[in-house]
Amino acid sequence: MTLTETRPETEAVAAGDDVRPATQSSAPQWTPPTGLAGILSTGDHQVIGRLYIVFSLLLSGLALTLGMLIGIEQADIDGGFGVFGQANELFQVFGLYRTTLILCGLVPLFLGLATAIVPRQLSASSVAFPRAAAAAFWTWLVGAIAHIAATFSYGGLGSLEAEAARGQSVELTVLSLGMIGVGLLVGAGVIFTTLVTQRPAGMDLLQMPSFSWSMLVATGVWLFSLPVLLANLVVSWVDMRGGDSLGFGGGDAPFEMVAWAFDAPQVYAWTIPLLGITAEVFTAAHRSSPKLFEPMAFIVGAFGLLSFGAWAQSFFDSADPLAQDAHVVTNEVVFTAFALAIALVVLAYGGWLAFNAYSAGERPQITPQFALVTLSGALLTAAVVAGVLRVAEPALGVLREADSDIWRGFFDAMDDLEGSSLVTGLMNFALLGALLAAVAGLFHWAPALLGRPLNAPLGFLAVLPLAGGAILVGATDALGGFFEQPARPYAAGNPPYGPGHFDEIDALGFVEALNVIGLIGYIAVLGGLALVALNVARSLGGAPMDEAEQGEGA
Amino acid sequence: MADIAVGTPLAAPLPRQRTLLVGTVFGTAASLMYFAALLAVYLRERSDALSDGGDWIPSSANVQLAPPTVAAWTMLMSVVTMQWAVYSIARDDRTHAIMATALTTLFGMSVVVTTSFQYTDMGLVADESIAATLIYVISGSHLAMIGIGLVFLLLMAFRALAGQYSSRQTDGFVAASIYWYAVVFVYVVIWTAIFVLK
Repeated sequence: MTLTETRPETEAVAAGDDVRPATQSSAPQWTPPTGLAGILSTGDHQVIGRLYIVFSLLLSGLALTLGMLIGIEQADIDGGFGVFGQANELFQVFGLYRTTLILCGLVPLFLGLATAIVPRQLSASSVAFPRAAAAAFWTWLVGAIAHIAATFSYGGLGSLEAEAARGQSVELTVLSLGMIGVGLLVGAGVIFTTLVTQRPAGMDLLQMPSFSWSMLVATGVWLFSLPVLLANLVVSWVDMRGGDSLGFGGGDAPFEMVAWAFDAPQVYAWTIPLLGITAEVFTAAHRSSPKLFEPMAFIVGAFGLLSFGAWAQSFFDSADPLAQDAHVVTNEVVFTAFALAIALVVLAYGGWLAFNAYSAGERPQITPQFALVTLSGALLTAAVVAGVLRVAEPALGVLREADSDIWRGFFDAMDDLEGSSLVTGLMNFALLGALLAAVAGLFHWAPALLGRPLNAPLGFLAVLPLAGGAILVGATDALGGFFEQPARPYAAGNPPYGPGHFDEIDALGFVEALNVIGLIGYIAVLGGLALVALNVARSLGGAPMDEAEQGEGA
Repeated sequence: MADIAVGTPLAAPLPRQRTLLVGTVFGTAASLMYFAALLAVYLRERSDALSDGGDWIPSSANVQLAPPTVAAWTMLMSVVTMQWAVYSIARDDRTHAIMATALTTLFGMSVVVTTSFQYTDMGLVADESIAATLIYVISGSHLAMIGIGLVFLLLMAFRALAGQYSSRQTDGFVAASIYWYAVVFVYVVIWTAIFVLK
């Protein structure tokens, strides 16, 4: 029996069959392990899904705590360091915030929801490769723990000090990030294969529920993105192993090699399931089924296509961006076109939601999940608007050349947004919006996931800090970009420097005030997440619903 | 009761789900993306180095075309034997299927040996230049890909020996062949991009 096979008892249990022998036999009978041994050796997709959800929520909380620490540092830009002893530590946490929020929080949270819910939506007994799903989960978890431990052991994705010795912790950080990538890739492969092969006879791909369709698109895009991330990491690691690094493993190059994964358009790719969850929750709140499903499926597919961002690697930008034939990826026509096109796609998706709301003919049932998906949609819209503003300078450059007097103030405001904290705002809008959607999915499918629905009043209580905090975090970063606040609160140099050395920021006091508001946003999101965790714990402690009610939840 | 059982028509067989096949296609596509990314880095760095007027591969190195060409032809021959294995298992000819799989494995191992010979022969120090680092990363990754392919092939051969595969169930062999063709394809691209273009 190999990793690719389903344990007979898993299939039988999932199908509701009694696996006990009909007659008593003298042969020793295998009894499934219980307790910790049962969890460690499980091939049950529900258990694996729950494990993903629990750990990814915990790690999302850790990521937001890191974001909060960076926020504290930025709240006093001209006061030097408060939290971090030196610029290198800030750089390490800056990278860890991104890797933890995306690869240890958001993506595994979606994978967990999919591992638990997709087989139910397809009426399948389990995921395609239950053992591979378990292997993927444990690989990811071990990688995530090693990655965080390595970064805190003075590792991180490189160092701002070019001449600094490359410690083992940097190597371990890179290797563990690779391990996370492998785990997520295998997990995505399991979901993709489940969606393609485990559908019941007669159900074609366009008849799948919206969430399943969005996971098909998401895992497809992740299939093309994660191997590129792994290739970047392997090159960095091998170069690091040599006596003298040659540009891939030294200094902050390891971070620069993978920075594309935390920036547009790739940052949208991590949020694709948001569209599926929103469609399901939105139509359920209107007590209707999705109308015009095919256009929606096309929109989600287009969003996935436009969010593939492995080609937009700033690592390969020309050393001198002002040179005549300089290659700077964010100035390229394709980059601008992608940013504009994805905004149109999100607009079209909003139109589809509006059509469904209109054709349902009745007011929606206001639930915590409905509130969350509505606000997550707003955050995604804010992200693509920030993306459009970011490329406005090259896109409108033609107009400026035609007549330099028109909209002078507007053009001036659009100048130099690339590299500003608007880019961070874009990322935070998209990622926190997706986090809200994942929490909405948790509420929506709680009967199937946890055996009981989550508490609605406690849910509404969590919506306010979650959504309000996410808006504050994204909006303050985005607004700070218009006042020349840099996207990266540090810079390489000899010695490297951080806050306290950015004298180009306009209206410093105002930007600092914005950063304080952003810090409050991080605290609010963390509080909201704690309320969600409390709700989940409360639900798990109660009596479970019966099977039929759980099925309705899926 | 027995009469009813005899008179009951057999249920129509469920369509095969081809799970292993789809999973292998996913893994193969991921492998291809991995190499596409590596080769993009390689070609980009090579282009930069040449446009600056410098050497790409250090002049001290002796990167011969003959060993990789031999390896490329060996890999191409393995495509024939791999397809022979799939053809045979689809016709219940288990003996030929296992023989063809063994030959494919042999060809794969020959490429490993040829690459190892080239490593010792070309005198390229891994951390001497960007070209050397990338050549070792790409060819080393391909050796790992061959290793995975060989394990996959051996697993399928043992399963065929145990009677698991026949004309009614060829998925394992077809899946292994898809992965192997990707191994060969990647090598041909490496041969062209690294050793022919140099």
